[in-house]
Amino acid sequence: MSDHGRTDPVLDCPADETPDGEELITAAMRWHFSPETGSPFWLERAGKLDFDPLRDVKSFADLRLFPNLVNELRDVRVEELIPRGLTLPDDLYGIYESGGTTGAPKRVVCTTDWMERWLAFSQRHLDARGCPRGVNWLALMPDGPHIFGAALREGARRSGGILFTVDMDPRWVKKAIAQGRAEDAARYADHLVTQAGFLLETQDVGVLITTPPLLQRLAQDERLVALINRKVRHIQWGGAHMDADTRHLFRTEVFPGIQLQGAYGSTMILGGSLERIEPAGEDRCVFDPFAPYITFSVIDPATGENVPYGERGQVVMNHISKAMLLPNNLERDTAVRIRPPEGQMGDSVADVSPVATFDDQAVIEGVY
Amino acid sequence: MPGPATAATRAALRDAGEELVQLDAFGANGPYRARNRLTVPDVTGQPLAELSIVPPLFVHRALAALRSADPLPPGERAAALERAGRLFASGTVGGLDPDTYRELVSRCSGLPIPVVSAATGIVADAASQAAGTVLQARPQAAVGDWRDPATRTGAAVWTRRGNVFAVHAAGNHPGVHALWLEALALGYRVVVRPSRREPFTPHRLVAALREAGFGADHIALTPTDHTVADTVVAGADLALVYGGDDVVRKYAGHSTVLPQGPGRAKILVTGGDWRAHLDTIVDSVADEGGTACVNATAVLVEGGPDEAAAVADALAERLAAIPSLPPRHPEAVLPVQPLAAARAIEGYLLRSAGSATAHLGGDGVVDDLGDGSAVLRPAVFRLDRSDAPQTGVELGFPCVWVAPWNRGDGIAPLRDSLVVTAITDDERLLEQLVDEPTISNVHVGDHPTYWMRPGLPHDRYLAEFLMRTKTVIRD
Repeated sequence: MSDHGRTDPVLDCPADETPDGEELITAAMRWHFSPETGSPFWLERAGKLDFDPLRDVKSFADLRLFPNLVNELRDVRVEELIPRGLTLPDDLYGIYESGGTTGAPKRVVCTTDWMERWLAFSQRHLDARGCPRGVNWLALMPDGPHIFGAALREGARRSGGILFTVDMDPRWVKKAIAQGRAEDAARYADHLVTQAGFLLETQDVGVLITTPPLLQRLAQDERLVALINRKVRHIQWGGAHMDADTRHLFRTEVFPGIQLQGAYGSTMILGGSLERIEPAGEDRCVFDPFAPYITFSVIDPATGENVPYGERGQVVMNHISKAMLLPNNLERDTAVRIRPPEGQMGDSVADVSPVATFDDQAVIEGVY
Repeated sequence: MPGPATAATRAALRDAGEELVQLDAFGANGPYRARNRLTVPDVTGQPLAELSIVPPLFVHRALAALRSADPLPPGERAAALERAGRLFASGTVGGLDPDTYRELVSRCSGLPIPVVSAATGIVADAASQAAGTVLQARPQAAVGDWRDPATRTGAAVWTRRGNVFAVHAAGNHPGVHALWLEALALGYRVVVRPSRREPFTPHRLVAALREAGFGADHIALTPTDHTVADTVVAGADLALVYGGDDVVRKYAGHSTVLPQGPGRAKILVTGGDWRAHLDTIVDSVADEGGTACVNATAVLVEGGPDEAAAVADALAERLAAIPSLPPRHPEAVLPVQPLAAARAIEGYLLRSAGSATAHLGGDGVVDDLGDGSAVLRPAVFRLDRSDAPQTGVELGFPCVWVAPWNRGDGIAPLRDSLVVTAITDDERLLEQLVDEPTISNVHVGDHPTYWMRPGLPHDRYLAEFLMRTKTVIRD
């Protein structure tokens, strides 16, 4: 083959098409474990696995064969993570980092192709919700090394809006809280809200993107609540959990006319999931992932087995694309396992909340 | 009512929960039944109720409503409080008649039903008298209203230090809810964060207050988990917080928080005539099931080890005769706890006792009722000196440390007490006790440590904390 296997009908299918899950897994194993296309990281580790990814990993269940290697992403040189099959620099969108909740940050590779797919998925969802195009976005979200900032920048531009941002460093906030300086974190949050106020007062803002803790701070300022209710049509929250009562109060009392939409994702899966659009009157927050690229399972951490639908367990995340293979990552969150929509690989999740400790570290959400 | 259904199991739980008493939060928009609900069990582990646990957003909104409200005029406040007290004690509130309410509190807290009944009366009395009680604390020079003619020539006016008062309540005894009614009488808007151990009383009282005329922007009930509890305190102007020594330490430097810690009430008997006062001593230890902060924790007896041993023996004999009964029994006296909790308390007692001599309870205090709960039976331990650290070990059942005391010991061993009952003729000693800043109340003679009356301070007047004076002069 002239391109040395660098194009694949499944991995490179059009961005608005959804490949079959098992076909994606098979194609991804071929990509990540072929010497011509795989990353040095995976090629080196392949030799130490007690199974053959090319032969043994064909289904969603087979992903469990992989060890959870994400902690290695704290130290490894990013050059080791870049699949050899990519054409540099055009195929590489950027290197992004996790929030450092459980220690030193981890790094991931994002390709232009993956960003394209992720944005197409998001836009489809926003359109289905009736989120207006051509309006400005205000984001009180981490930018910098976090992938969400990059995705927002692209998303706002493509939907025809201007993006206003307020800087946020979630790592600093988490550090302040971990050191018992909750007041410093609170002052920082107040500072962010003040900055957002300048924009809400003077600019047209149709879409607000922020975290639940910051949304609560905004909600304590009656002037800002009035501004948001007057200007904003769509609020997207993410980056931290929101309990069902808080969500209910936002929807019914604080921002009654505004579309409230949750996002549940992670830099470690290069994106995530968006809140399912439920029929009117349904009062729950289910997240359907961007399967089959991003998939979840909800397990009992003691046995590794799925919990029954409707039961709470710990979330395992997978990312499979040409950019990266990040299988079998036990996340810090717990969630209720929900039956997925027809044809979706893996589980959907609801009522996400953080576990109290993770890797022997207290889990601190802070403003993010 | 909102109808969440995030998962089959929660839906199933909720179906079962429909038969349980629902303890809603009370916020800015009326009663709120949260999706996040805590099952409140009785001492045997049977579920009794579901308590709605609200998130910070709910607390903030409730506080904002309280902050923006104007107080009712003083006369209306007094009348509404009186009505609320009557409703609380004898009305049907939130679907619960008084007998059902008392039974629920008794089953949930393990407090004997007569103790709960008495507490209901205390709360009702406090409500009807609150408007007058608070005036006891007003400085003599101050007037209560800026319109008072005295301000024509300049006068001190008694005014609130803030507008919103938070109560982080205790669950050991329903009577603790009598106190904060005074804040309402003074025109404060009040938010109560109930103890999850016994939420029935604050729920009923807040419901009664709302029914009696205090609006959703005057009184709120915000049950929260521990992580949100500070939000309630931090969002108010002033707060009353119940807790142990840790809570007292935490808020020691806060001028806007009044911590209410352990009582460590003590009895001092001098002159060897203790036999005539044995009833007072026994009652001080065992009344209220020994659960109140005003129950005697230590008895100091003038003389040597023999005198102390004689008192301890007499106390032990009387306390040993109290029967073990489930809390709902009309003759119940002793508190009941879940068996595991009772065992933990027993373990703590025996570890704390160390080398103390047991006169009662040395083999343990747990009497298993066989239904998952256990009576905590009285304990009497004798120490060899009045400054032994055990005199400060206060537990929620009749548990008393008896120690010898001599004039040379002075009042040092009696410091840090909510109440000292002194059975003595020594006026110099009484003078010292009354002067001692760390002793809140002094009872002389046959007045048990738990003696209280509306209008008299319990731990100084609450209004001393809630109010200040300011000068007003007008044309």
